[in-house]
Amino acid sequence: MNRQEFESKNTTKWQAFDHRVQAAERRQDVAGGEELPSTFRKVCYDLSLAQYRMFGHRICDHLNALAIRGYRVIHRKRGVFGARALQFCLSTFPRAVRTEWKLACVVSLVFWLPLFVMWWLTGEDLIWAQAILGSDGMSSLEGMYGKGANTVEHLRSEHGSNFMMFAHYIQNNVGIDFRLFAGGIFFGIGTLFFLIYNGIYFGAVVGYVTAAGDPEKLWRFVAGHSSFELLGMLVVGMAGLKMGFALLAPGQLSRSQALSKAGRDGLPLLIGGALMTALAAVVEGFWSAQAIPAEVKYTVGISFWVLHLVYFVFAGRRSYGA
Amino acid sequence: MAIPGRRIDTLQSVELAEGMEIHLRAAGPFLRLIAYLLDLVFEVLILLVIGVVIGVLGSVLGANVAMGVSYLLYFFVWWFYHVFFELSRWGATPGKKIFGLRVVGEAGGSVTLGQSMIRNFLRGMEIIIPFVPLVAFFHPRFQRLGDLAAGSLVVYSKPRVEYSVAGPPAMESVPVTCALTREEEAAILSFRYRSGGWSEARRVELTNHLQPLTGEMGPKGVNKLLGMASWLEGQR
Repeated sequence: MNRQEFESKNTTKWQAFDHRVQAAERRQDVAGGEELPSTFRKVCYDLSLAQYRMFGHRICDHLNALAIRGYRVIHRKRGVFGARALQFCLSTFPRAVRTEWKLACVVSLVFWLPLFVMWWLTGEDLIWAQAILGSDGMSSLEGMYGKGANTVEHLRSEHGSNFMMFAHYIQNNVGIDFRLFAGGIFFGIGTLFFLIYNGIYFGAVVGYVTAAGDPEKLWRFVAGHSSFELLGMLVVGMAGLKMGFALLAPGQLSRSQALSKAGRDGLPLLIGGALMTALAAVVEGFWSAQAIPAEVKYTVGISFWVLHLVYFVFAGRRSYGA
Repeated sequence: MAIPGRRIDTLQSVELAEGMEIHLRAAGPFLRLIAYLLDLVFEVLILLVIGVVIGVLGSVLGANVAMGVSYLLYFFVWWFYHVFFELSRWGATPGKKIFGLRVVGEAGGSVTLGQSMIRNFLRGMEIIIPFVPLVAFFHPRFQRLGDLAAGSLVVYSKPRVEYSVAGPPAMESVPVTCALTREEEAAILSFRYRSGGWSEARRVELTNHLQPLTGEMGPKGVNKLLGMASWLEGQR
């Protein structure tokens, strides 16, 4: 069979395939759609034949393009979004966190150690607060959590201010998460920097408010969303560090393969952590600043911490079928 | 055309589960940079439009709600503009679409949400150190770090259009008496498929290089080579 015979014999088939793929690309109903896979295999076979027999660029390129489009259409992933989201929350995400328990230890150490050290240091000597927060930071903390300050509840009495703060926390905190993740590309240094920096900063804030302000105001505000926000940040940090370690110690793989694998494996951590931070913004916007007795807020806050631990330790241990 | 050995083009062969090989044409960093700058312009335009709409809405909804909405929209445009369009049917942001580019997975399929998030979030970090995105120039698939982490690449979405005119049919086929490699056969066939668009002088010039094979110089060599091409075609 020479080129002309090959072409004239198959053109109709290719055209029909082209039309079906086009319809499928436009998400229309495809007449004879059930034949798409078998025609696709035939086109693949034709492409191999044309390549092997060197039937020229025109035919090869045409078939190549057809095969790529067919591949895209046939391998399109269209799961039910709800079911996949549920599976992600119930098993994929907590499992990913458990698999990376070593990274979880690393990020926890890198965040909590500076936090507690700085808390203790600031309590010993306020000069540390001055060094880290600066006079601007100190006076703004004084305005929010000082002994004579108006409560956060008071500031939120204006119409729509809860929603505005919620949006602000989404934009700011989830954005920080994404940067925290991306910082991992520099051998993990960016991620480490953000984690240590945040640890030191939070430590100084807590230490300063405890020593010079009204700590109850601070705890009442942060109790509710602290677990979502801090754990979310740490989980995203794990995804960033995973990339960093993959670049530093790729093991048996090449650096680019290791990076690709780390990116793929770290993905549930990135998405899950960002979702936790978004939830934190909901709590922070609509719950944390409500005028509710401190005991209730503390109870809720502690329950959230416990629930998080239970979730990460136990969720998704059994498989729920395919 | 499946030709083994070192290539001088940017085609990337990928073997699919169906057992065949497809070729992706990876797009170079320069065009992608222009597309990216164009996208920045689009993003700024979208934000401007949003700003105006919010400004109008602000008087109805109240300043705080309007501020909140603008924070959210700013967040989504800033972080998800590229992700949204790469997951759309185009598989490309408007800037890339204009240049006929498409973001695909390493096997040529559409990118997933996760892949798109990784490649776009990392870009923001990569451009902090100006020479890091230039890594793409040295990669055979023109992948920058974000692409490597996501397992994605940017390709031309349309097959290339080659304006080639087949040469005149040969008077008689001439058997080739020595063994040719596949690459050499491909070159001769390619000459046959493309020589119609060239001047006689150009054909002669090219064929003269093959004097050891054809044994002829000048127009005679051209005829003989076309004859060989026709014989090779007949062999298949």
